Amino acid sequence: MRARRPAEEGNVLICALCTILIISLIGANVLSNCTTRFNVSSSQVRSWKESLFAAEAGGDIAYAQVRKTVMDPTHAFTGWTNSGAQHVSPLTTFGSNGLATTTVVDLFYYDPITGNPWYRSRSKGTAPVNGVSRTGMDDRMGAGSRGDSLLRKIDFRTDHFVAIYGPNGDGVGKTLVAVPNPQITRRIEQISAPVTPFEAAIKCTGSFYGLGSAAQVDSYNSKNGPYYFAANNPADPHFSDSRSGSVEIGTPVATVNGMLYGNISTNGGTLRPSSSITGTIDNNVPFTCPPFLMPTNMPAPQLAPTSVTSTVSITPPAAATAAVPTYYLFSALSGNLTINAVGAAQTYVAIHVTNDMTAHIDVKPNVHVKIFFDGNMDVKGRDIENETGLAANLQYYAISPADPNATQYIHIAPPGDFAATFYAPSADVVLNGNPDLTGAVVCKTFYGNGNTSWHYDRSLDTEGDAVDYRIVSYVEDIR
Amino acid sequence: MRLKTSLEPSAFTLSEMMLAIAISGVVFGATLTSSTSLQKSFNAIDNYFGTHMQQIRIVDYLSRDVKRGLIVTTSADLQTVTITVPNYIIQAGDPEAVANPALVGTPRTPTMSYTPSGWQVNYGNTTSTVVYSISGMSILRTENGAVTTIASSTDQLVPQTTDVELANTEYTQTSITFQPIFTSGGAVAERSGTTVYSTAYLRNKRRG
Repeated sequence: MRARRPAEEGNVLICALCTILIISLIGANVLSNCTTRFNVSSSQVRSWKESLFAAEAGGDIAYAQVRKTVMDPTHAFTGWTNSGAQHVSPLTTFGSNGLATTTVVDLFYYDPITGNPWYRSRSKGTAPVNGVSRTGMDDRMGAGSRGDSLLRKIDFRTDHFVAIYGPNGDGVGKTLVAVPNPQITRRIEQISAPVTPFEAAIKCTGSFYGLGSAAQVDSYNSKNGPYYFAANNPADPHFSDSRSGSVEIGTPVATVNGMLYGNISTNGGTLRPSSSITGTIDNNVPFTCPPFLMPTNMPAPQLAPTSVTSTVSITPPAAATAAVPTYYLFSALSGNLTINAVGAAQTYVAIHVTNDMTAHIDVKPNVHVKIFFDGNMDVKGRDIENETGLAANLQYYAISPADPNATQYIHIAPPGDFAATFYAPSADVVLNGNPDLTGAVVCKTFYGNGNTSWHYDRSLDTEGDAVDYRIVSYVEDIR
Repeated sequence: MRLKTSLEPSAFTLSEMMLAIAISGVVFGATLTSSTSLQKSFNAIDNYFGTHMQQIRIVDYLSRDVKRGLIVTTSADLQTVTITVPNYIIQAGDPEAVANPALVGTPRTPTMSYTPSGWQVNYGNTTSTVVYSISGMSILRTENGAVTTIASSTDQLVPQTTDVELANTEYTQTSITFQPIFTSGGAVAERSGTTVYSTAYLRNKRRG
């Protein structure tokens, strides 16, 4: 027996298949669009931002190492690959998204006046881009216009930067380097500049007492010529340089006497405006001064002399430079030391005294001296003989004791006027008498009871050994 | 044996046919309407997210240039942003390139100068200028005369940027809105609801 078969059966199947096909096409189109959008919003944009975070983290790591060159020189760039003035960091990976960063730091410049090095940090940050590479980028914008691929340069299969610009971006060593997974890399360059110590006339991290009731602190700029009093004459062409005799105190303990032509700050003090202070008063300025360590970049010391306990006159064998001065290592400095220039040349000398500093120093014109001492300093004002009167030409640095509880002092007694700078963040400074003083002091505590005339030289702003670093420039290599 | 087949004619009655056509019409109409609605809805959503991506792109472009910038100024109508950026890469025609053409396209070593406001790091003797502006439906980025369209939409993208100067730095605040193509009576929320905000600070010390 034969069953009857309706003729319409085939149409149903075709209709069903067509419906499925159309719905599938719509679904595929939706999925395709969604995947691209999702890739852009959740993965590519995120990776693009995170790669900058990674690069900046690399910059921070490098900056910490640069700061160590003055704060902890023996451990600076430890674990890095060091070759001369260039330091290459190991690869650092961090974060749950597998970010990676490397940095190359190079000492690219010496300040010709202070000899302080400047560092350039080139950091590379990489973030993986999740998702399969075939989904591509969201470039839909307009005819002939590219969208995201102009901004977010994703390395889907090879590192585009190395291929086009070379690994260092200088066109050298261009090659195809495959990447294991899609990734975005961003590069930044930061410049770390040395921070010099003499930004105020007096800066102390501890208590402050001073000066005498008839004392005055003002300023001038030695680049404009010798000092003269201009702080009360607004019509004077150098008036603008005359009211920077500032005092910075890192505690609330501040007894301020005399006339101050400048600003003053304390950390929690109760200073109030008065006619004796011409500048601003801020009682909420905390700061610290890290211990000062002997610089490690000195050249080999001269063979003689190795101590000065009588009258000694030295003329360095060469004028040298601020970055590489003629270096003397003294076991004692208690006599009379005269330092001569090499002919008429600007002559740079550094002295390290591994004991107390009690000598009379005579610094001749054209000589720039830095004296580093491990112990205490006890002299009269007349023992600080700086013939040009430029404070920057005679700089004293008190090396902080290894034991932070050990005391260190600098005592300067009358008679005698002098011009010098003192960087002694661990020392108690006592200044007696009524000297006419040109220079600046950074110390732990300050006590001065005399009617001192203190002139801060504004050119000291850029003088002195680096005591810290700050980042002064940021640029991104957007290629 | 052969089965006997019926010779009676078989067909739908008129009422069956009319009922079937009516039901089919309703089903077909519903399908057509919903398909059209779905398509419109999909198109609107796709457009919405596409434009949203462009908002993000504008913000990212601006943030990148502001971060590496030296000076940022915005126009009175808040729709044109001018950023001065360092000349990091040596370009053809630069003095270094004239002296040594091989240096074209390489990073420049900076020089330092001391100014009354402190140390200044310079990449070359000049700087580059980047301008963000609106032209019709497009957002343009112009760097030293070279124009790039960074966003283009029929959704009336409107970026507005203000710059706020602080003692040493500066920051920009940007908000970008657009008008979605699906509307609901022209309510204000249609545009304001699409706003993307961004704040970016100069990494360098402000020079102007």
